[in-house]
Amino acid sequence: MRLSIVATVVRREALEIVRNRLLVASIVIPPVLFVALPLALGTFTGDSARDPGGQLVAQVVASRPDWASLARDQIIAAFVLQQFLAMFLIMPAYVPLSIATFSIVGEKQTRSLEAVLATPIRTAELLTGKAIAAVVPGVLTSWLAYGVLLALAGLILGPALARVLADASWLAAVFLLGPVIGLLSCVAGIVVSSRVNDARVAQQVGGVVILPIVAIVMIQAISGYLLGPREYVLATVVLAMVGVVGIWVAARLFDRETILTRWR
Amino acid sequence: MTTSSARAGAAIAIRTEGLGRRFGKLWAMRGMDLELRAGEVFGLLGPNGAGKTTTVRLLAALIGPSEGRAWVDGLDVHTQADDVRKHIGILTETPGLYERLTAAQNLDFFARLHGLDAATRAGRIERFLRLFDLWERRDDAAGTFSKGMKQKLAIARALLHEPSIVFLDEPTAALDPEAAFIVREAIESLRGAGRTIVLCTHNLDEAARLCDRIGFVRGSLLRVDSPQRLRDGDGVPMVKIELLEPLADKQLAAVRATPGVVDVGAGADPHILLVKLGDIRRDTPATVRALVEAGAGVLGVREEARSLEAVYFEVMGNRPQLEGLAA
Repeated sequence: MRLSIVATVVRREALEIVRNRLLVASIVIPPVLFVALPLALGTFTGDSARDPGGQLVAQVVASRPDWASLARDQIIAAFVLQQFLAMFLIMPAYVPLSIATFSIVGEKQTRSLEAVLATPIRTAELLTGKAIAAVVPGVLTSWLAYGVLLALAGLILGPALARVLADASWLAAVFLLGPVIGLLSCVAGIVVSSRVNDARVAQQVGGVVILPIVAIVMIQAISGYLLGPREYVLATVVLAMVGVVGIWVAARLFDRETILTRWR
Repeated sequence: MTTSSARAGAAIAIRTEGLGRRFGKLWAMRGMDLELRAGEVFGLLGPNGAGKTTTVRLLAALIGPSEGRAWVDGLDVHTQADDVRKHIGILTETPGLYERLTAAQNLDFFARLHGLDAATRAGRIERFLRLFDLWERRDDAAGTFSKGMKQKLAIARALLHEPSIVFLDEPTAALDPEAAFIVREAIESLRGAGRTIVLCTHNLDEAARLCDRIGFVRGSLLRVDSPQRLRDGDGVPMVKIELLEPLADKQLAAVRATPGVVDVGAGADPHILLVKLGDIRRDTPATVRALVEAGAGVLGVREEARSLEAVYFEVMGNRPQLEGLAA
């Protein structure tokens, strides 16, 4: 694989992304919300009067004993903050999905791929370039937003809650599970985009990759059980294995002949 | 044929032996045997679905053959596909530009894919944009261009790496007359530059004007010849002589005895004489002189050739019947 060719593909994809206002808006606006919302809710919901019987605090401490040293208000605020961890998994999921579907469906609509495939580029280089261009913005955006959230949490919520945001579960989710979800999402975008001719339809179908993340939010909110770093690492391994299968499928769909003769 | 032997025959740009491609049970092209000389402009004529695009894709090493072999610049399209793609440029059926990128960025992307260094890229981009009169619009998004401009930009893209063989798939389809004229002029200039060109077209006049030889395809290669020989039918050129009065026997004998006259026939109109000649330019004056010296009155002489359209329907074997349209 020639890195210069991969870089050329990434560069072209990036040029197109920055000229697509809808795509840029969908990359930039959600992180702002995902940073602002936990700070606001962490500030205004840290009130133990909302849990007079102390049942929620007891449940939370049972699943996160390391929070036992926090004040009751802080435990409730930490519980609320922990729900936003999933938001930082959604970012690397939807951004690659949006970019991959816009990119591939766009190329199908303008029929630009045939001219590209008539050059000495290898399909693996094209696929890798497209995947990098799709995954990196989502992952970097989530990392950047996480950094901003950490910094602002230290200032607004105080060091104890900032430490909650920097614990092993957040680090595992943001830096391990996030990129794997990004890759999986990109693969889903490629696979679905090869079968449809509308980017929005592709996104709706490919959006199933977000369902496991929604499930995490539901489980935590309903049961009061908080997933720890071990669960996030386990999820990373499982999804990485699914991702390997997905890459194999995407690579087969990204064959030169398949693109030219079967993609409709 | 081995690669080395194909290379040794430098005058052959493209060679196919029994080339065929099947999609499922359907053969899009089968049994194609063809040789194209370097520098030749070769037209592929045929109806929609005849296998023109499949042929181009096979020769451009975009898809592999189901049977047979092909060499482009001496390189096997199946086993040396990556190398073949370095030698060819292709204008696809639609321009296929990146519409959000500028004209210069579109060309720069493809120049990079062909591995051109920065200085070469800059030089070639400027040269081709100027050649196709797009230099002033280099920083405008391709999506803002007219159809003709997009087509010219796509041709520039196909030529950036200076390929020895260029495939043009219906380059003037869906263009208005002015844009089509501009694109045809561009193709003429390529011909002048000595490139081998394979031109897929529905436009018979375009094929007759631009191509050295034409191949009729419909699932296979039906016939290959020069536009002139296709029009001449059996290959013997013919002139149509309009007479003041029908010829007498001795006048007809005088024509038959003229050197260069291959055959003499009468038209349905006795005032028309059809004369087949060995060489139009050489033998027509002597034939007319012989007629005049024999006392015949000659009103006019013109070369008689079938239209390429007539040849097309003859080869394809299905001239549309239009009687019902008037009802």
